[in-house]
Amino acid sequence: MVTVKINGIEVTVEDNTLILDAARQAGIDIPTFCYQADLMGVGSCRMCIVEIEGQKKLQPSCVTPVLHGMAINTETQAVQEARAGVLEFFLANHALDCPVCDKAGECELQDMVYRHGPHKGRHAEPKFKFHEKDYILSPVIVKNSNRCVNCMKCVRVCREVVGANVLGALGRGDHQEATSFARGPLDCDHCGNCIEVCPVGCFMRLPYRYKARPWDLKGADSVCSYCATGCRIVLEERDGVAVRSRAQLGVGINNETLCARGRFGFDYMTSPERITTPLIRKSGGLVPASWEEAFGFIKDAAASIPPDSIGAQPRGLRNEETYTFQKLMREALGSPNIDSSARWAHGAVEAFISAMAMDRGGVSVLDCVKTDTVFVIGAYVSEENPVTDYLIRRYSASRNMNVIVASPRAMKLDSSANLVVRHMPASEGALLEAVLAAMSGQEPDPKALGQAGISADEAKKIAAKLKGSESVGIMAGTDFLRYPSGIGALAKISAALEGLGKKVLRLPLLDRCNQRGAWEMGVHPALGPGYSRRETAGAGTDSMLDAARAGSLKMLYLAGTDLLAMNGDRGIAGEALAKLKLLVVQDMFLTETAKLAHVVLPGAALGEKDGTVTNQEGRVQAVKRLTRPPGKAMADLDIMTMLGSAIATGFPSKIKSASVFDEIRRETGIYETVDLAFNNKKNKGNGHDNKEALVRAAAARLEAKPDFKAAAPAGPDSYPFALVTGNHFFHSGTVSLRSETLAGLAREPVVEIGEEDAGKLGLSGGERVRVRGKNHEATMLLRVRKGTKKGVAFIPENFEGAHANMFFKRGEGIQRVLIERS
Amino acid sequence: MIITSYAIGATRSYIYIRGEFDFGAKRLEEAIKEAHAKGYLGKNILGSGFEHEMYVHRGYGAYICGEETALLESIEGYRAQPRKKPPFPALAGLYGKPTVINNVETLSCIPAIIEKGAEWFKKLGPEKSPGPKIYCVSGHVKKPGLYELPMGTTARELIYGHCGGMLHETRPLKAFIPGGVSAPMLTPQDIDTPLDFDSLAAKGSMLGSGAVIVMDNSTCMVKMAYIINRFFSHESCGKCTPCRDGTPWLTKVLRRLEHGEGRPGDVELLESLCTNIFGRTFCPLGDGAVMALRGALKHFRQEFQYHVDHKMCPVS
Ligand SMILES: Cc1cc2nc3c(=O)[nH]c(=O)nc-3n(C[C@H](O)[C@H](O)[C@H](O)COP(=O)(O)O)c2cc1C
Ligand code: SF4
Ligand code: SF4
Ligand code: SF4
Ligand code: SF4
Ligand code: FES
Repeated sequence: MVTVKINGIEVTVEDNTLILDAARQAGIDIPTFCYQADLMGVGSCRMCIVEIEGQKKLQPSCVTPVLHGMAINTETQAVQEARAGVLEFFLANHALDCPVCDKAGECELQDMVYRHGPHKGRHAEPKFKFHEKDYILSPVIVKNSNRCVNCMKCVRVCREVVGANVLGALGRGDHQEATSFARGPLDCDHCGNCIEVCPVGCFMRLPYRYKARPWDLKGADSVCSYCATGCRIVLEERDGVAVRSRAQLGVGINNETLCARGRFGFDYMTSPERITTPLIRKSGGLVPASWEEAFGFIKDAAASIPPDSIGAQPRGLRNEETYTFQKLMREALGSPNIDSSARWAHGAVEAFISAMAMDRGGVSVLDCVKTDTVFVIGAYVSEENPVTDYLIRRYSASRNMNVIVASPRAMKLDSSANLVVRHMPASEGALLEAVLAAMSGQEPDPKALGQAGISADEAKKIAAKLKGSESVGIMAGTDFLRYPSGIGALAKISAALEGLGKKVLRLPLLDRCNQRGAWEMGVHPALGPGYSRRETAGAGTDSMLDAARAGSLKMLYLAGTDLLAMNGDRGIAGEALAKLKLLVVQDMFLTETAKLAHVVLPGAALGEKDGTVTNQEGRVQAVKRLTRPPGKAMADLDIMTMLGSAIATGFPSKIKSASVFDEIRRETGIYETVDLAFNNKKNKGNGHDNKEALVRAAAARLEAKPDFKAAAPAGPDSYPFALVTGNHFFHSGTVSLRSETLAGLAREPVVEIGEEDAGKLGLSGGERVRVRGKNHEATMLLRVRKGTKKGVAFIPENFEGAHANMFFKRGEGIQRVLIERS
Repeated sequence: MIITSYAIGATRSYIYIRGEFDFGAKRLEEAIKEAHAKGYLGKNILGSGFEHEMYVHRGYGAYICGEETALLESIEGYRAQPRKKPPFPALAGLYGKPTVINNVETLSCIPAIIEKGAEWFKKLGPEKSPGPKIYCVSGHVKKPGLYELPMGTTARELIYGHCGGMLHETRPLKAFIPGGVSAPMLTPQDIDTPLDFDSLAAKGSMLGSGAVIVMDNSTCMVKMAYIINRFFSHESCGKCTPCRDGTPWLTKVLRRLEHGEGRPGDVELLESLCTNIFGRTFCPLGDGAVMALRGALKHFRQEFQYHVDHKMCPVS
């Protein structure tokens, strides 16, 4: 610790603290441009210069660490003149076209000049202009370089945080222009972080262009509704229409960063495809109806259906809704048949929860990335959980730590890893078994190695890194749920590491918002709220579908889930849904599933209701309503209670979200102490980790037996590719397809293979290819990715034009496919 | 360089040369080949067990590439912009490895010191900065060129002795720049200043690169300042605000003055801009630009003012 005096105020700070940070700790604000807590310091803008007593020159406080006994002054005349001087230089060539600049009103340059002068311009020379008209850099970015202050935050965030590294500077001196290579169109992550960090109106959102002035906007604190990273956003509306989503420095684990989905994908809220009225099936077609008619329809149709013939599935809803949903099903209707995933077997979910110790309480991702080794497996983190990927990249660049990435497909995070292992799909278990053997000093089993498609050396290297660490962060993703045979080994590896006295932090990487919340609310056939085991288990998704096919399940209530598109076997799902006597679908869109329904109930988007969602870490975060649902659409909680009171006696027709949360606190136990008060004020510091928002451990451990057998691969041996599925970078489920912006980034189904395979087949990216499996074949665009394992093909699950699930059959293992020029 | 590398235990060295110096670069490549052939480079040099490889790195003609940390960036394949210090190159330099950076002129003294001894070296020039110095004289002298002389040779000796005096007998010396364009200019009254580090510093100038520019009384100081400043603003790397946006502003004002479009207050504006740049830049380039201009303003302020008041040049 060192003690320094800043403007006469004594502060004691840790060694190597920057003057700027020390000043902030003392409550003194120093203006900055190029400084950003998440980025490496460059000290180039000179806005933050201060006076250090005894030093002739003013020093940049954002890169100068304090020394014991330093006396620093931040408000002397010299400093104030220097600041004004720097600002005057910024303005010399600045376009000063504030009246037509989207940033005006929230521009750091405007604010700084207002506060720190100069209030009179002396630059009476012709200005240098980079270009006349703004230019478009990507479907989401429009650029005006004439407003640039050259802080290079855009370039740095793209390199250091996003890892895309597609920006740089052209030219030199005052002709230096931060932009893409030769100002060409960007083929990048389209995350817009370059826009968010830009202090001026240089990098701007194309979809938001000229839509509003900042002072026209009303905002609501929310959480991104796509993956389970749980990024905090502010959604903003003008005249009742959501026009912007942004992140804030110092708020949430994501700070100022988001991915393309979080920043641009909110516009599904205003999609013209939203359902605005209840629909009921009449003479074969779905026709608009009033709510009373819809509930009446359901009441009549359900009257003759016994409780255990009713099944239900909610997804993508708030905690208050999923909690109420399971209560409605279990208590009011008396049906135990409830599940929260159309994709995964509930047994696998249970085993995964236990293996990842989710029942032992929340784990902060910020703690996880501060371990000695982060081990990512079974997760395509760079594209499914982009901001989690940013965190790993950022921390690993500034810390001495290991990052191990094990995945069949190459990903952006590979470049931040010091060990990358490419294994065969569905062989996470075999890989982990080999690592376990190596950890205990044995030679890994050649069979396991063969199955995983890795070498003994690779297994040993992973083992050595894990053994050499005092703390390990295991980040395991949804491939364990797709291929549950790996869950047993996942549980064993954590146990083995803990047995060696290591601190093991487990972070499940989930691809859907509030997936964890739904499990914790007890939307699971065998688990009640708070991971409590139910005495008798109900039917899970697959059993419900089987029962429907057999005619014993007659009614299904689906809320927010597109079962037909997401179930692992489209054939079975289609057949089951067609047989139902009553299919009630509650959704924002007329999904493929909704089109089969007898009654469609128009629900609301996350930004249209108050409540809470729980991210993959177990962090519970509040969302606030921004706009009203369109037309007659209603908040899902209201629909559920109204439906409940229509068909079950004694169910309240209206409950307040907040009182449901109080009940959740009581009933789950694990939510009892959760603190929802979150500091959403702009916070200049960093590392905002409100651990009080994490769920706590359940009273009893969830025991699950993870004995899942892997089915043999299906399809002719002559088909050279193993087919894997997951989410497209710009999509989660099928909601994102209704976002005009995201659909604009990727509308067409793709199949992705490695470079080597493509070369062998004489195919190149962008070509149309035919993917042929034993059950299905389809034409799509080929995408080639360098570094993906040989013999692996990937198809995203999101596109309605190419149903990934048509390639699969329940009971069959991973599918082999053939790819040929179409 | 091989000896220096041996002394500090460096196994790799780079010679950074401007891209335009094609002939020099080729010659260096040849020399490295010869050294390899003779066993002065490579593994186990002259049986010493010492290994060393030397590379020639050709730049792309930016002045900033001479700044030591920008030079490192350039070798690594990045844009040549100075790095933040600390860490200093001696701790973390090229590719993050400890690195020593010297001018070839400095390093070329080493064989001579080893051969003739430190005593011999110390006897050349003044006590505090001994050794030989290459003065590169240009401008209005009879015999411009490169002169290797003992450090501390006076400007008078150099100009009137070695260089054969002023170019035109009728045009006496007006000013001279003793050490490259960033060194503030001096006037005839300082003609007896020894051209070494300390003596020039005492006069408020510096030895810098040892490039001496001699100007006779036909030289317009505004034009001179304009050309020098234009050079700096053109070479500014763009990293820091005062230099990036300040030097082009200076250039624009100087150009106006030079073109007879001066406005009242311009001289004061120049001075004020200098204040806002000097000492606030990231690397010494911006300071250099200011020092040059301040030197001209200090000695020839009235000439600048004349351009403002009469919209013409008093000299030409
Ligand atoms: C803008 C700028 C340009 C420079 N250009 C050169 C150059 O061209 N050649 C050179 O030797 N040193 C140049 N330097 C100085 C070097 O950074 C470095 O200090 C010097 O090479 C050290 O060598 P020495 O100690 O042997 O003189 C430059 C410095 C600055 C700030
Ligand atoms: S949108 Fe994202 S990936 Fe693309 S340039 Fe900006 S920061 Fe980089
Ligand atoms: S474009 Fe914006 S973020 Fe990038 S250098 Fe310019 S002002 Fe900074
Ligand atoms: S990382 Fe996930 S939560 Fe964050 S913005 Fe992207 S999709 Fe949303
Ligand atoms: S002073 Fe000039 S050359 Fe040096 S870093 Fe700043 S802009 Fe670049
Ligand atoms: S904020 Fe410190 S130099 Fe830019």
